[in-house]
Amino acid sequence: MDRNFEYMFYGFTAAWLIVIIYVIWIALRERRLRDELDRVKRMLEDQEREAKK
Amino acid sequence: MSFLRRALAIAAKDLRSEIRSKESINASVAFALVILFLFSLAFDPTSDEVREIAGGLLWLVFAFAGTLILNRSFARELVNDCLDALLASPVSGAQLYLGKVIANFVILMVVEALSMPVFSIFYNVHWKDAQTIWIFVGVMLLGTWGLTVIGTLFSAMTVNLRLRELMLPMLVYPMMIPALMGAITLSALLVAGEPLGADNQIWFRLLVAFDVIFTLLSLAFVETVLVG
Amino acid sequence: MRTKLIILLSVLAGGLLAWNLHTIFLKVPDEASQGAVFRVFYFHFPAAVTSFSCFFVAMFSGLVYLRTRNLRYDAAAAAINEVAFTFALITLITGMIWGRIIWGIWWAWDPRITSYFICLLMYFGYFMMRRAIDEPHRRARLSAVLSVLASVDIVIVWKSIEWFRTQHPGPVLEIRGGGGMAPGMEAPLFWNVLAFLMLETALILVRMRQQSIQSEIESLRRYAHAF
Repeated sequence: MDRNFEYMFYGFTAAWLIVIIYVIWIALRERRLRDELDRVKRMLEDQEREAKK
Repeated sequence: MSFLRRALAIAAKDLRSEIRSKESINASVAFALVILFLFSLAFDPTSDEVREIAGGLLWLVFAFAGTLILNRSFARELVNDCLDALLASPVSGAQLYLGKVIANFVILMVVEALSMPVFSIFYNVHWKDAQTIWIFVGVMLLGTWGLTVIGTLFSAMTVNLRLRELMLPMLVYPMMIPALMGAITLSALLVAGEPLGADNQIWFRLLVAFDVIFTLLSLAFVETVLVG
Repeated sequence: MRTKLIILLSVLAGGLLAWNLHTIFLKVPDEASQGAVFRVFYFHFPAAVTSFSCFFVAMFSGLVYLRTRNLRYDAAAAAINEVAFTFALITLITGMIWGRIIWGIWWAWDPRITSYFICLLMYFGYFMMRRAIDEPHRRARLSAVLSVLASVDIVIVWKSIEWFRTQHPGPVLEIRGGGGMAPGMEAPLFWNVLAFLMLETALILVRMRQQSIQSEIESLRRYAHAF
């Protein structure tokens, strides 16, 4: 028995991969949310400037 | 006492509407028969192995056909703002819910009763004796109540969602699994003519426990779901 | 303040995990019959335990929302459920890989792994439902109820599948890696549970912050479109 190293490697890789993918997904979402927040704030400022005129 | 009376009034309204239009029953029975036939294509109905699982297949048919009925249950109230009117009436959310559960239960039992002869013929079921049939009816009652209790609650939950017809089956089937398992195990044994051993009593207890727990939980939460 | 907490937790979790990996790979001896693969258990068990308890914590958070109607509890519930879902996925996949060695097949209809699969299905429905509702309070309300039903049901499903499988035995062995473990082998397990908890808390805090950004965006939009 080759001590089943192969599958142990698969197991750990799978666990780490899922965590890493999840963290990347969260990070991408964070960037998207911040961009959208900036966009909406800018839109609001433009609107208020228009209203003041 | 008026709790039950109001719930029964709602049930009577739904049943009367169903008897007049027969929309759910027709669709459901037709669907059940088609699925029974399709299963017979996938599994050879006369072989011995299928005799073992035939009882289980039956409950899958009931679950699928039941979803059609459950979907209509609250959806039919959306027309003309009937749901808002019902919620604004003196009938509480729990009474409305219980009434619909009773109505759906009766309709689904009718569908099942109509499917049973077809099932017995297609799958060559030899009912051992009258007692087996009575126990089977008991299992049908318990299992169907479990399905309708959960299904009606989810019907209430999904009534205003987009993609209601997709969301209801997706949400409801995992929840029904314990009840389905109990019903499937017991039905498979009864249909195959095997004796119900002492270790199968646990499935009866599971069915009863499932029914009690989810009836209470649903009654507790349905007001939150419907009104807020 | 919160950012510092997140960073602290992540660093601690990372350090603990790294140290544990060192212990797991170098110090702990091979198990008698399985060789090296059982070390996957050191991830499988913590993931299972933490995700399972997280689902219940999320249920309580939902109940607190129903009592207080404070949307922050709903944000917490959603974040906790999401992280728990990810770690339940890890549990399932590591369990399958381990099972491939022990049972020779990827899937054995064992009670635990099957109930976890059903749990994932239920919470997948939970997330689908959340996406289908736009109004925040309605979404919170229905999510809380669904969370309660799912958490109660998962216990019943577990028991019923256990009874089912004792009657229809398959190639099933109990994954009781805990019983009869040599003393030196248990410690990394509990340290890993702690590390996973810290990691999950950090992720949950990050997600909750994202939820508050999301609700800020929604309220700004409503304000903008009000004119």
